[in-house]
Amino acid sequence: MKAGNGDKGLINRNSRNYCIKRSAAILIVIAAFLSLVSAGGAFVSADSDNKSADQSGAVPKYKTLKELSGKRIGVQVGSVFDEYAEAKIPDVRIEYFSTCPDEVNALKASKLDGIVCLESAIIQLQGQADGIVVLNEPVGVIPLGFVYPKNEKGRKLADQMSEFLAKLEEEGELERLKEVWNGNDESVKVVDDYSSFPADNGTLTFVTEGTFPPFDYFRDGKIIGYDVDIAVRFCKEYGYGLKIKDMNFDALMPAIQSGKFDFAASGIAITEERAKKVHFSSPDYYQNAVVAVLAEGDSSGSFIASVRDSFVNTFVREHRYMLFLKGIRTTLDITVLSIIFGTLLGFILYMWCRKGGRAAKLITRFCVWLVHGLPGIVLLMLLYYVVFGKTDISGMWVAITGFTMTFAASVYSMIVSGVNAVDPGQTEASYALGFTDTQTFFGIILPQAAKHFMPAYKEEIVTLIKATAVVGYIAVQDLTKMGDIVRSRTYEAFFPLIAIAVIYFILAGVLKAVVGRLTVNVDPEKRSESKILKGIKVK
Amino acid sequence: MIEFRHMQKAYGPSVVLKDINATVNDGDSIAVIGPSGTGKSTLLRCLNFLDPPTGGQIFVNGEEITAPGCDINKVRQTMGMVFQSYNLFGHMTVIENIMYAPVKLLGMSRQDAYDRGVELLEQVGLADRTLKYPDSLSDGKKQRVAIARTLAMDPDIILFDEPTSALDPAMVGEVEAVIEDLAASGKTMMIVTHEMSLARRVSNRVFYMDEGLIYEDGPTDKIFDHPEKENTRRFVRKLKVLELSIDSRDFDFVDASALIDKYCFRNHIAFGTANRIRSAIEELCVQILLPELSSPKISICVEYSESEEYTIVTVKFPDAFRPDDHSEKLAYRMLMANTESLEYSYDESEGSTVVMRLR
Repeated sequence: MKAGNGDKGLINRNSRNYCIKRSAAILIVIAAFLSLVSAGGAFVSADSDNKSADQSGAVPKYKTLKELSGKRIGVQVGSVFDEYAEAKIPDVRIEYFSTCPDEVNALKASKLDGIVCLESAIIQLQGQADGIVVLNEPVGVIPLGFVYPKNEKGRKLADQMSEFLAKLEEEGELERLKEVWNGNDESVKVVDDYSSFPADNGTLTFVTEGTFPPFDYFRDGKIIGYDVDIAVRFCKEYGYGLKIKDMNFDALMPAIQSGKFDFAASGIAITEERAKKVHFSSPDYYQNAVVAVLAEGDSSGSFIASVRDSFVNTFVREHRYMLFLKGIRTTLDITVLSIIFGTLLGFILYMWCRKGGRAAKLITRFCVWLVHGLPGIVLLMLLYYVVFGKTDISGMWVAITGFTMTFAASVYSMIVSGVNAVDPGQTEASYALGFTDTQTFFGIILPQAAKHFMPAYKEEIVTLIKATAVVGYIAVQDLTKMGDIVRSRTYEAFFPLIAIAVIYFILAGVLKAVVGRLTVNVDPEKRSESKILKGIKVK
Repeated sequence: MIEFRHMQKAYGPSVVLKDINATVNDGDSIAVIGPSGTGKSTLLRCLNFLDPPTGGQIFVNGEEITAPGCDINKVRQTMGMVFQSYNLFGHMTVIENIMYAPVKLLGMSRQDAYDRGVELLEQVGLADRTLKYPDSLSDGKKQRVAIARTLAMDPDIILFDEPTSALDPAMVGEVEAVIEDLAASGKTMMIVTHEMSLARRVSNRVFYMDEGLIYEDGPTDKIFDHPEKENTRRFVRKLKVLELSIDSRDFDFVDASALIDKYCFRNHIAFGTANRIRSAIEELCVQILLPELSSPKISICVEYSESEEYTIVTVKFPDAFRPDDHSEKLAYRMLMANTESLEYSYDESEGSTVVMRLR
C-alpha cells in the first residue's frame, strides 16, 4: 500500500509559466482564443441545464478493464487508486494529478484514456460534464473514513466518531445522507451553520480538500459535502466548536500527522499502512473505485453558446466571481505584506551586517543561503508543520512569514550587490569631507545603489507574486487555490486557468508599475533642473 | 598647525610608516616625494584617518586627534582631500557635489552654497558645467570639480593624493594650473606626487620619504639641488642604482655580468652604456684589483641617472691601493678608454674609494 503522504504533492503546480511581459500576456490570450475557435467543435460544454445528464445512450470508448491494458490512467496524488488500477489493469500507465477535476480535464482533452476515482465523485461529474461514461467493472471497494493524529486526543476523537457513525447507521441516517449527497438536487444538500456551535468540549479544526464533490466542495463560497456534513453533525452532537480549513489533498495526511489539525476527511481511504501513522474512525462509506472513460463521438454544441455557458459557469453561477475576488485579495495581501516586511527585513539585515562585523555577516549569509536553497513550498511546509507546528498561527501568516524571508533574502543580496557596484572611492570622499558613516551611507551610497538594484527588485516582485501560488498547500485560499475550487465544480480548465493567468499578469503589472513610479522618484538623474535648483536664484 | 609625533602605521605585520615626526606650519605647501611603496599616500590618509594610524600621536591646532573620543568628522571638515581617482558623487550634478557638504555639514543656506559653488567653479574654469553629471565630464574636469568641492568647505589644509597620476597626459596641465594657483594664493597644502616638476613648482617645502620615515625634510630648492642624504640625491636625480660585492678570489664574473645586464635592461640603459659598465667593472676589479689586494673584499655601486644620462661606478676596498699606479697595464688603459674621469681617495676608516664617471 502507498503511504500517500504528499511526497508526490511536491509536484510544483506553479510551473505554469506566467511569462514576464504584459505584451506576452496579451499574445497568449489571443493565441488561446484562436485555439479555442479552432477547437470550438471539440469544446465540451459543461452546462448541465443545456444538455441532458442522461448517459444511457453514450457508448464508451473502452468497455472492459482489459481493453484498457497499456493505456494511460489518471489518479490523484496521495490516493490509493494507483494500487487498485495496477492490480486490475495489465500494464497500465499511471499518471498523477493533484485534483480530481484536473484528471477530468485531462481525460476530456484526450490526454488520458481513463481515470480512476470514487463512484460518487464520478456520479457528480456526470451531472456536470458530458461525454464521460463509467465502466460497469469496479476496480475495488474502498473503505473511507475520518483521519486523526496518532495521539491520545486523536484516538479519543476517532472512537467518538466511530460511535457516532454506528449510531447514524443504526438510525438509517447514514443511508439517507448518502442518497442526499449522491443525488442531483443541490437544494437539499445543506450543512448546518456550524459557526455558532457552543464549544463546550473545545473547538476542533477539520481539514479537507474542498475540491472533491460530493465529499467536500465549495458552493456559494461555503464548504459543504458528505464528509463535511458528518463532521458538522458530529461536532453538534458531541458539543465541539468547529473550524474548517481546506488544503491540497496530498497535504492532508502530513497535516494530520503533524498534529496541526484535529481531523480530516476527503474521501480518504482507510489502509493498513496509513493506520500506522494516523488513527482512523470506522468507515463512513464503502465506495466502489471505478474507471471512467470518454464516450464515443463528441458532444459538440454551438461554440458561442458553449463559451457563454462556460463563462457563466466559471464566474456567475453560485457567485463564483466572489471566490476569485477573495483569492485576489488573499494573494495581494500575502504579496504586498511580504514585499513590505521583506524589504524592511532585508534592509535591517544589511544594516546589521554593515555594523555587526564578521559574525553578523556569517549568520546572515547562512540564512540567505538556506532560504534561497529551499524550494518555496518546502520552506512553507517546514514553517507550517515544524516551526509553527504547535502554535495557532494561520496559514496566511505562515505564508507571509515564509515569503517575507524569501523576499528579504533577495533584498539583502540585491543591496549587497548594489552597494558593491558603487565605487568605494565615493565613500572615502564623503568621509574626507567630514560626513559620518551613516550620513555617507544614506546620502551617497544608497541613492546610487538603489539605481543598480531597482530593476532586479521589480523582477523579484513578479517572481514573488507567482511564487505565492503554492500557498494552497498550507490551507490558504489564494487565487490559484480558488481557481482549483472553481474547476472542481465546473470540471473545465479553460476559463478558470485563463482568468487566473490574466489576473496574475494584471496584479504583477500593477505592483511593478507602483514600484516603477517609486523608482522614477528615487532616480536622481531623472530630476528636472528646477528641482535640482529648488530654492536657488540663479544669477 | 599639524604635528606628527612618532606616528606609526602598520597593516598587520607589514610596517609602512615606522616613525613619523614632523610639523606642518600655516602657509606650508609641502610636496611629499619618494619611491613607490614608502608610505607617501599612507601619510596623508593617516592624517585624516581614512587609514587610522596604529601608533604615535597627531596634533591639529594643539588638539590631539589620535586621542580616543576625538570627533574625527569635525577634524576632517577642516582638512580637504583631493583623490587620485576624483571620487565625485555620481548621483549629483557638479554644483550639488560642491554644495552638498557646506549645506549639510556647515549649515550654509542653499543659496549661499550655490553662489559660493559657482564662484569656485569659475575659479577652476568650469562655470558652464554646473548642471552636468560627473560622468559627462573629462577626467581633467572631474579633478577640477573635485578640487572645487574640497575648497567649498574652506579647509585649513588641502591634502592632494597624487592628483594628476590618473590623468591622460593631455589633461595634466589644466589640473596642475589649478593647483599652482592655489599654491600661489598661500593655501596650506600637502601634495603627494610623482611629478617632480609639479613638486618643484607648487611646493615651498619637501618631505622626501623613504624606509618608512620622513627621510629628509627641507626647503624645496635645497632638497632638489643640494640634498643632504644619499637616498634623496639618488631619488631627485632619478638615479638607478646597482650594488654588487666581491668577497672571494673565485669571484665569478659571468654571474655578475648577468646581474648587470638585467639591471641595464630593466632601466632602459642603452646598449653601449651597458657595455661600458660591464667592461669598467671587469678591468678594474677583476684584472687590476683582485690579483693585487691582500683581502678580496670589494663593493661596487653603479648609479645611472635617467634625467641627466650619466653613469658613475663607485668601487670601495679596504687596502690603500691606487689603480693609477698600474697605468702601464693594458687593463688600465682599456679602463681609461671608457671613463671620463677617475678619482681616488683613501680614508683610514673607510679604506679606498674609486669613483669613475663613465663616458
